[in-house]
Amino acid sequence: MTEPLLSVENLKTQFFTEDGTVRAVDGISFDVHEGEIVGLVGESGAGKSVATSSILRLVESPGEVVDGEITFKGETLFGLEEGPDGEPQPSEEMLSEEEMRDDIRGNEIAIIFQDPMESLNPVFTVGGQLREFIELNRDLSTKEAEQEAIDMLREVGIPDPENRYDEYPHQFSGGMRQRVLIAMALACQPDLIIADEPTTALDVTVEGQILELVEELQEKYGTAFIWVTHDMSVVAEICDRVNVMYLGEIIEQADVDDLFYDTKHPYTQALLDSMPRPDETVEELNPIKGVMPEAINPPSGCRFHSRCPEAREVCTRVHPEPRTVAEGAVADADAPTEAAVADAATDDGERPHTVACVKYDAFDVGYDSSEPLETEATGGFSAGLTDTGGEADD
Amino acid sequence: MSLLRYSAWRVTQALPVLVGIIAITFFLANQIPGDPVEIMLGPTPAQEQVEAIQAKYGLDRPAHERFITYLTGVATGDLGTSIYYDRPVLEMIILRLPVTLVLMLSAFAFAIITAIPLGVISAKRRNEPADHVSRIVSLIGVSTPSFWIGLVLIIVFAFHLGWFPARGLVLPWADPADVRGAATRFEVLRQAAHHLFLPMIALGTLQMAQITRIERSSMVDSLQGEYVKLARAYGVPESTIVRKHAFQVAQLPVITIVGLGLSTALGGAVLTETVFEIQGMGRLIITAINNQDYELIMGTTFMFGVAYVVGVIITDIAYAYLDPRVTYGDE
Repeated sequence: MTEPLLSVENLKTQFFTEDGTVRAVDGISFDVHEGEIVGLVGESGAGKSVATSSILRLVESPGEVVDGEITFKGETLFGLEEGPDGEPQPSEEMLSEEEMRDDIRGNEIAIIFQDPMESLNPVFTVGGQLREFIELNRDLSTKEAEQEAIDMLREVGIPDPENRYDEYPHQFSGGMRQRVLIAMALACQPDLIIADEPTTALDVTVEGQILELVEELQEKYGTAFIWVTHDMSVVAEICDRVNVMYLGEIIEQADVDDLFYDTKHPYTQALLDSMPRPDETVEELNPIKGVMPEAINPPSGCRFHSRCPEAREVCTRVHPEPRTVAEGAVADADAPTEAAVADAATDDGERPHTVACVKYDAFDVGYDSSEPLETEATGGFSAGLTDTGGEADD
Repeated sequence: MSLLRYSAWRVTQALPVLVGIIAITFFLANQIPGDPVEIMLGPTPAQEQVEAIQAKYGLDRPAHERFITYLTGVATGDLGTSIYYDRPVLEMIILRLPVTLVLMLSAFAFAIITAIPLGVISAKRRNEPADHVSRIVSLIGVSTPSFWIGLVLIIVFAFHLGWFPARGLVLPWADPADVRGAATRFEVLRQAAHHLFLPMIALGTLQMAQITRIERSSMVDSLQGEYVKLARAYGVPESTIVRKHAFQVAQLPVITIVGLGLSTALGGAVLTETVFEIQGMGRLIITAINNQDYELIMGTTFMFGVAYVVGVIITDIAYAYLDPRVTYGDE
């Protein structure tokens, strides 16, 4: 298997607030290979968007990327090394802010934001904004960039692009604006596009059209995507590989079919159970009980144990790191994840199915002999929006 | 509708407002106790003299008749005759208006030139020392009356330091022969700037402070906008983001404040002109009121009204020009 396009290792991003340190992203690792669509799924507040802004080093104060390594096409977007005083400092290979701005943002990694209504500047024409970003990220003259912008608008299905070019964002509908933003991302010819919940603000029919468009264009241009979403049906529709996030951690990582048909983590299962599926008939949907705890003070052990229907006593003590558990994959209990990934990803290109849940044998911490835990999900607490913060402290 | 037609339409809309201003001033002025004739002739005038003067200025006719005459006069560009100066009101205004305009424009130029960079820096360095300084300066600026600032400036810079003259104004286009100690055009300009400096600051400080505050909060908002995040994510340099992407959106509320500031500055000009003994519109209106000079009161108030309306119209047009979301009222 070839080198991944983007590799994120043990990324940690924290927000230093007056109430304490919020560990918004807490040691996630994932790869994106050329031309694939990688999903980043989770509830609101799981740290998905922070993870994507960390990749572009656009986390705003008081947030800061504190640890980990991000490499993109051999360039170190973020990396630390030990400084002379023993404190970590940015490594020598790490790109400077100027290099990030001039060489990475836009021309190598482009982004599509969630809210198409707010993402375009209201006082500039749509075409002008497109042209500006194209000019900035590609070696084109103003005239060529303008032509490229018009071509791109046509490409994303905006009728009459020559005239729409001179119109302002308020003259476009939400779906049309999102098409403009997609055009903007593609026009810069990046190798990777980060789509941060791009269809969340749109109604379902428009969402369908946009997904279709992205699939079509992705095939044509071969651009890799990181698709951030909380919607499992979107994941099923377009993703090749999926990372499920919970409270700043990736708790399950698998190819899309494995994730849906061989679901391992109770959280992923719960997410799937809370969503209507055309292939399964259920009397009643089964939503996840409780709310996600605050990342400022995450529960001990497994972070999901407070809401997990399968939680046992051991889950409150042992914090699981993702391990390869799928059948056939190399499941060396003691080997760190990275090694397991490397092993499994060698010959056939099959990538492993990793899960961070101690109920699997790969962990071997005595889950089976541990006492079942009373949680909201198992009925020990009244279901609903109870505050799980106090319980998390136990 | 084109911008030109929109502008024409806004001017047309302003006409009833102006008629309203005239009507209110006319009847208010007539309600002021006292009598201009009495002021002119002293407490015990001869009856014939009184009647002669009343007849001369048309004061013997009933109010509504005089109002109609006045309105027709205004429509034909005749603002009547000042009782106190015994000269046409329009002539007095033409003499004094440029003085006030020079004062106001320089005050606004000073306000805008200082306030916009201050506000932008403040927003960009939010909660840093530069921001605190600029916020304190603008807080002091909005809460200090202009006449007090004027007095302090006179005491410090004119009386103690002697850097600037304390009174009067030299118009930049004045004939060098009429200006004492100035032989050339350049000398006149230098004197004009010299005289203008203190009143400009006295009048401009309030505007400066208000514009700084609005500029800051508006820039803070737009710097947090999604479009700014998008521009950053596409590698736009931060300086371009501040100067272009965030700045242009942020100017819309600023324009409103500048437009409305034109009218408050007129009020400020009255006080500033008094403090610095400048013979402008402000002093003219005070003289008019003190002497119950009906025609002059109405003429000057009418001009203030016109200035206010013009300020509002300029604001509207600027808004329509800068914000593509403002339609020209054809829906």
